[in-house]
Amino acid sequence: MEKADVMIVDDEMIVRESLYHWFKKAGHYVETAASGVEALEKLDARSFDILFVDMKMPGMDGIEALKRIRETYPDTAVVIITAYGSIDSAVEAMKCGASDYLMKPFKPEQVSIVMEKVMYQKQLVCECSYLKGRIEKTTRFDNIIGESAPMLEVYRMIADVAESGASVLILGETGTGKELVAKAIHAKSPRNRLPFIAINCGALPDALLESELFGYRKGAFTGAVHPQKGYLEVVSGGTLFLDEIGEISSKMQVDLLRVLEDKKITPLGDRRPVDVDFRLIAATRRDLGAAVKDGRFREDFYYRINVITILIPPLRKRKEDIELLVRHFIEKYSHETNKKVNGVSRSALKHLESHNWPGNVRELENAVERAVVLARSLTLTADDFAFLVPNPAVSPKTRSLKEMESDYIEQILIECDWNVTKAAEILNINRVTLHRMINRYNLRQPSRS
Amino acid sequence: MNSADFRIGVAPFANAPDIALKVIAGQFVGAFHIAADILSPMENPGYAFDSRRGQYNAALILKELETVRGTPRFADYEKVIAVLDVDLFVPIFSYVLGEARLGGTFALVSLYRLENDLQRAAKIALHEYGHLCNLAHCPDGSCLMHFSKGIAELDGLPLDYCRYCSLALQKECSCKRSSREVAPVPLRS
Ligand SMILES: [Zn+2]
Ligand SMILES: [Zn+2]
Repeated sequence: MEKADVMIVDDEMIVRESLYHWFKKAGHYVETAASGVEALEKLDARSFDILFVDMKMPGMDGIEALKRIRETYPDTAVVIITAYGSIDSAVEAMKCGASDYLMKPFKPEQVSIVMEKVMYQKQLVCECSYLKGRIEKTTRFDNIIGESAPMLEVYRMIADVAESGASVLILGETGTGKELVAKAIHAKSPRNRLPFIAINCGALPDALLESELFGYRKGAFTGAVHPQKGYLEVVSGGTLFLDEIGEISSKMQVDLLRVLEDKKITPLGDRRPVDVDFRLIAATRRDLGAAVKDGRFREDFYYRINVITILIPPLRKRKEDIELLVRHFIEKYSHETNKKVNGVSRSALKHLESHNWPGNVRELENAVERAVVLARSLTLTADDFAFLVPNPAVSPKTRSLKEMESDYIEQILIECDWNVTKAAEILNINRVTLHRMINRYNLRQPSRS
Repeated sequence: MNSADFRIGVAPFANAPDIALKVIAGQFVGAFHIAADILSPMENPGYAFDSRRGQYNAALILKELETVRGTPRFADYEKVIAVLDVDLFVPIFSYVLGEARLGGTFALVSLYRLENDLQRAAKIALHEYGHLCNLAHCPDGSCLMHFSKGIAELDGLPLDYCRYCSLALQKECSCKRSSREVAPVPLRS
């Protein structure tokens, strides 16, 4: 259980004493107060997680104390202790905001159960705000998009591995969507109601990564003013996604290997180990097998994280997915930017398909976002993607007359909002001819959604 | 921790059965190589009997024992495990199976609710001994210092400390030893 700061408020010395020793043995920080007034004074001096307050005290009684505490210190949980059989006052206490109640005399395990319950609730409340602040950006769920054969293989793998708790290593170039795949595995796994936490190991220096993962106690080092739980503990039963695992130091590899084997961590500045439970999904864009061979990556750790491998293909190897991706991103960004863009021209798609996409899906997404923001018509044209620097690796292909004709006709059709009569007028050809050309060049009116 | 100086006393109250004392002392000697002696029985702690509850107040017994700590009977023992055959309580709690204060000298083990299961008695004795050596409850569910919610959970615990708690125990004993080496025996009389 979480170590807590506890205060016992009771006018009877003998009760304070027994509870004091009991909580001490449970490893908590404990103070006592003989009256409600003394309790409020102590609360004024420092914060407490939980107060055990006796209902019957001379002067300020338990209910009065409870009300004042709830009013001034809403983060402090209050458990009311009532006399045996006084159900009514227990009910009243709960109505006034008590977290729970105990009826005297109680079994030691009842205190332990109440304590666990209250601390769990508190933890849920603070972890929600904690997680919100720290990983908000990474919890937005997006779908992985693609219908190409290599992507269908990826989907099959996700479905196969999700159920098992096995460690997964995701391989893929920058921007291929490794985190999306990790999230999809988490979402389809039995852990899906528990947290998904993503950490980019490459972005953090070693010492910071260590304290982020393992956490620390107050005073563990200069600057550790408040204790901080590590992600390994916060993830509590969920999935931990470690991106760029190839970048971590060999000391960190040893530490993580030990965690995977012992299922325990010892936060910095603490000697008490904490049980941890999580599923590990790691990802890298490096060739870890080669790194193992020439000693840059530990072999034992490699085999531990690489139980199952999922390889995400680069975008240039699944160009048939580009259209689907582009349409998805247009929808996403026209919604986000509130611009009325609803389609993409054939020529624009051809332009996008000829690009090499070294930054993969992320680069494509950025390109579409930019085009949507700058677009001046309902449909994105090749001009809207003019900012894409032609890839030097791919020899620029000279466009044939037919291609130019096709692009020109499409451009005019878009400008006329696919009013064939109007476009034919501008092109100075008749409608039948235009229809024939539309068919020949396989031009299609973008669907509107 | 094989120190001749560090000794544990296993002290029965009134009718505590011999066999339980032997099992408890045997655990310390056998498993932990700590010398343990069985002491002669003490009188039934009638002063701690609460007639309303029909139970004995463990807090009062501990208080009384601390006052006789320096007497020749206990002077040779670093820690003392007192074993009782009666039902114990601590004010506000309905009952306790064992009781000890962090860093204290005396621990109480009640056989009353253990249904003659000596394994349970040994577990409680070693758990309370841990408290005497300043160990708090351990988060590790497979460690003797884990707080067990009732007999069933106690039965699920092994008769052993986790490696962290073992380490802490060893440290505690070696500290005691070295402080004794600094202030040698003659001071006592
Ligand atoms: Zn205990
Ligand atoms: Zn332990």
